[in-house]
Amino acid sequence: MGTITQSIANNLTTGLGGASGINFRNIIINGDMNIAQRGTSTASITTDGYYTVDRFNFEIGGSSVWTQSQASDAPSGQGFTYSLKMDCTTAQASPASNDIILVGQSVEGFNLQTIKQGTSNAQSTTLSFWHKHTKTGTNIVELLDADNSNAVSGSYTQSVSDTWEKATIAFPANTSGTYGNDSNRSLRIRFIMGAGSDYTSGTLATTWQTTVTDANRYVGQVNNADNTANNFSITGVQYEVGTTASEFEFLPYGVKLERCYRYYQKSYAYATAVGTNTTIGIRTTSGSAGGMTTGQLYGDLQFKGNMRTAPTMTTYDKAGNSGVCARLNGGVARTDSQNLSMGDISEKSCSITSTGTANAGAIDVHWQAVSEL
Amino acid sequence: MINTVEKIYSWENNFQNYKVTYNDGKISSVPLDTANTDYQAIQQWIADGGTVIDNPPE
Repeated sequence: MGTITQSIANNLTTGLGGASGINFRNIIINGDMNIAQRGTSTASITTDGYYTVDRFNFEIGGSSVWTQSQASDAPSGQGFTYSLKMDCTTAQASPASNDIILVGQSVEGFNLQTIKQGTSNAQSTTLSFWHKHTKTGTNIVELLDADNSNAVSGSYTQSVSDTWEKATIAFPANTSGTYGNDSNRSLRIRFIMGAGSDYTSGTLATTWQTTVTDANRYVGQVNNADNTANNFSITGVQYEVGTTASEFEFLPYGVKLERCYRYYQKSYAYATAVGTNTTIGIRTTSGSAGGMTTGQLYGDLQFKGNMRTAPTMTTYDKAGNSGVCARLNGGVARTDSQNLSMGDISEKSCSITSTGTANAGAIDVHWQAVSEL
Repeated sequence: MINTVEKIYSWENNFQNYKVTYNDGKISSVPLDTANTDYQAIQQWIADGGTVIDNPPE
């Protein structure tokens, strides 16, 4: 067998993804926290949302306040550069009974079919990740099946404060309830940071609950919100089929960015926050010199590939005002704060209509498109 | 947090999306797509007693 033929044969055996087999085996997107289109740090967080690292959301109940960042801190020698860091800036000594604080990622059903859940061939799965928490003790990770309202929990331990440690949690197969083969949210993978007694007073459910008992969901969870010295960081998050954790699947940067575009895109340059006063990246509809009007102007916005679903659109004029656009009189003037309406929003594109009154030949507009789960 | 929600119509008088103003001043257009989580949030907001502004073109 020739060298090239042997190489192809080896790849077919081991998988083109490297030593650990199948490409795209990691169901988590951006598990190495490399992509952060929204920015690298957000302070004073008190509400649910997506803040920095793509695809990872934050949910909060209670009175603690947090700063989230894409931190340049990662376990040494593992190939990671960044982590998702939650920094407690206002503490809550003990959670109210119904409080939950977590970071997590939701997965659409299209990306879960390999688990074969709800069939006799349902697969076990394994979640692996690196964690570095100030608070030592037990933390809980939950798989919450959004299609069938099933849930299962697993635990890991931060043994040494503020030290990177690796966790591997195997979850049993679930033969009850299939994941929809669609773009809706089917699975929520949740890293619990704190939880009240409504969720901690029972026995941890390490087998799938088809009727979820809240008291069994986060038993043993420490309160990472009890001190402003506390940080909670994770990286290298991988969720895959099987009973063991394979080596983390590093994908090319461009591939990761494209995968994130399915859920979030913007017209601005990567490192520029939405609402920044800039023309870089601004979408200018076509127009012609002398073709001026104070009436309606039309155009469209095309997305980079298909988004998960028709996205929520937020537009900005050059100055950064939202819900409006600028009208451009090329070479003469750009007028901000002009009315804009959106239409025909689909996963591929949308139309824009400026009904502002400034004499112009084209629309100038920045935009953000969000179709998160 | 949602502050106001308004129905937006096309020039052909078709209801085509919601214009949502949030408490932080951000204004977004939310498509009529049940898979969109902001659309779902609007439906919940309506169910919780929110009133949608509806001024169809004459």
